[in-house]
Amino acid sequence: MVLGAIILGLKYLFTRPYTRLVPEKERPFKTETTRGKHVLYMDKCTGCTMCQRVCPADAIQMVRVEGDWKRNKKKIFPRIDLHRCTFCAMCVEVCPTGALAMTDITGWELTTEDKEKTIYMPYELSEPEPPYRITVSKNEWLPPPPFYSKKKLIEKTSNK
Amino acid sequence: MGLKTVEIFLGPQHPGAPGNVAFKLTLDGERVVDAEVVPGYLHRGFEKLMEYRWWEVNVVMAPRFCVEDPDNFELAYVLAVENLYGIEVPEKAKYVRTIIAEMSRIQSHLFWLLFMGAAVGARYIPSWAMAAREEILKWYDYITGHRIYHHYLVPGGIRWNIPRDFRERTLKVLKFVNKIVDDIKKALYENKIFIARTRGIGILKPQDAIRLSATGPVLRGSGVRYDVRKVDPYEAYDEVEFNIPVGEYGDTYDRCLVRLKEIYESMNIIRQLLDKVEKLIDDKHYRYKIPLVAPPGEGIGRVESARGEYIVHITSTGGQTPYRIRLRTPSMPHLTTVIKHIVKNEEVTIADFPIIVKSLDPCAPDLDR
Repeated sequence: MVLGAIILGLKYLFTRPYTRLVPEKERPFKTETTRGKHVLYMDKCTGCTMCQRVCPADAIQMVRVEGDWKRNKKKIFPRIDLHRCTFCAMCVEVCPTGALAMTDITGWELTTEDKEKTIYMPYELSEPEPPYRITVSKNEWLPPPPFYSKKKLIEKTSNK
Repeated sequence: MGLKTVEIFLGPQHPGAPGNVAFKLTLDGERVVDAEVVPGYLHRGFEKLMEYRWWEVNVVMAPRFCVEDPDNFELAYVLAVENLYGIEVPEKAKYVRTIIAEMSRIQSHLFWLLFMGAAVGARYIPSWAMAAREEILKWYDYITGHRIYHHYLVPGGIRWNIPRDFRERTLKVLKFVNKIVDDIKKALYENKIFIARTRGIGILKPQDAIRLSATGPVLRGSGVRYDVRKVDPYEAYDEVEFNIPVGEYGDTYDRCLVRLKEIYESMNIIRQLLDKVEKLIDDKHYRYKIPLVAPPGEGIGRVESARGEYIVHITSTGGQTPYRIRLRTPSMPHLTTVIKHIVKNEEVTIADFPIIVKSLDPCAPDLDR
């Protein structure tokens, strides 16, 4: 019936709008498991290049970072092009030492006007902008670790 | 046929075209006398791209053939690899995968309702259907970590364990979707304008449907009771009870009705499986790690996707990557042979053409891949 459809439609007129106002009012929709920008724990990385080899989007390249790295004799670390990244978390899964993890920084929080800025160097990756939470990590797939403050993170990543 | 016929292009930037696909229509006055599909606007060469990636990593590629129904496409690839390796998955993974695939079917049919509502001019249907789909996407984000392409099924199981409130969350989503689908049924399917625009249009007889290799809701809309989930059960489909809805006349309305009934059937399947998953909620055994190098041989994965039968055939020469992958996608016969058959055998006007095309539910990405 046409009339029935109109009455049903009128009912929906009085329901709350389903859309959300981003970025003015709200942050991008995210849950406890949303996969987003990476974190690199530079003290754990051994420079084994597994993340580069597994990446299906070819978003990871290894770059040289000078410094006194105990575990990383070759001094090479991944840099990630988030413009290409599909956030599949294959690199997190394949990393033998758990040096990579994923946060819930996603959506328009990653947009930029400068195309050069989509490539994140190792130091930038080791200090993501708070607030964020680790959603996917190596010990994963089990309960993810709690929030990290920026200060604590710097202590963890020994950039001497 | 009149003295003069006109050729026009419908699409790819036309509201009546199903995504990035164009049609070359031959018109005689207002009647469409011939329709030829012009594919290739979305060709990304996935079959070739998959030859350069590891077996497990190809899971990232597999859902991208179809935006609307990603998990069934992922599942077919995963089944093919498991067939090649010759492994069985843990029981928990089997149930969860079936739930994920059925949820994908519901989501795909809701997405189709958006197009169908827009094609017949019922502008309120798209927003309702999208609200229901949005709730499913949020559910996916919680379970798998992503909204559209989930990368959740892997050869050997599922990538990570399900959360403890899996059952409650899923039931909540199903309740919300059920309410909206009930409303859509009342507002669209019992609406006499919709019936007048779809009844008796685009008729496909059962013998023609089989001959033209139509599958899925198009075939079932013609009255053929054929479903891969029943004929060749994979995953946990042999452990659940469900009906195969079929149409009566094979017209556009029947195809639409079959899809609506399938949403209810999928919800029924998920509810049955949730009880089985609940018993295994503490089970940590949900994945086998497969070796990097595959044995030489062939593997085949066959699923009933939301659009029809989807087959993945892989060949391995015993390396880290596939030697060749061949995909049989359901949209190709629907847009090439079926639509041509319909316009040749009945008087289709240009106003009815988009409705008939939408009722076949073609997917441009899986047509081109």
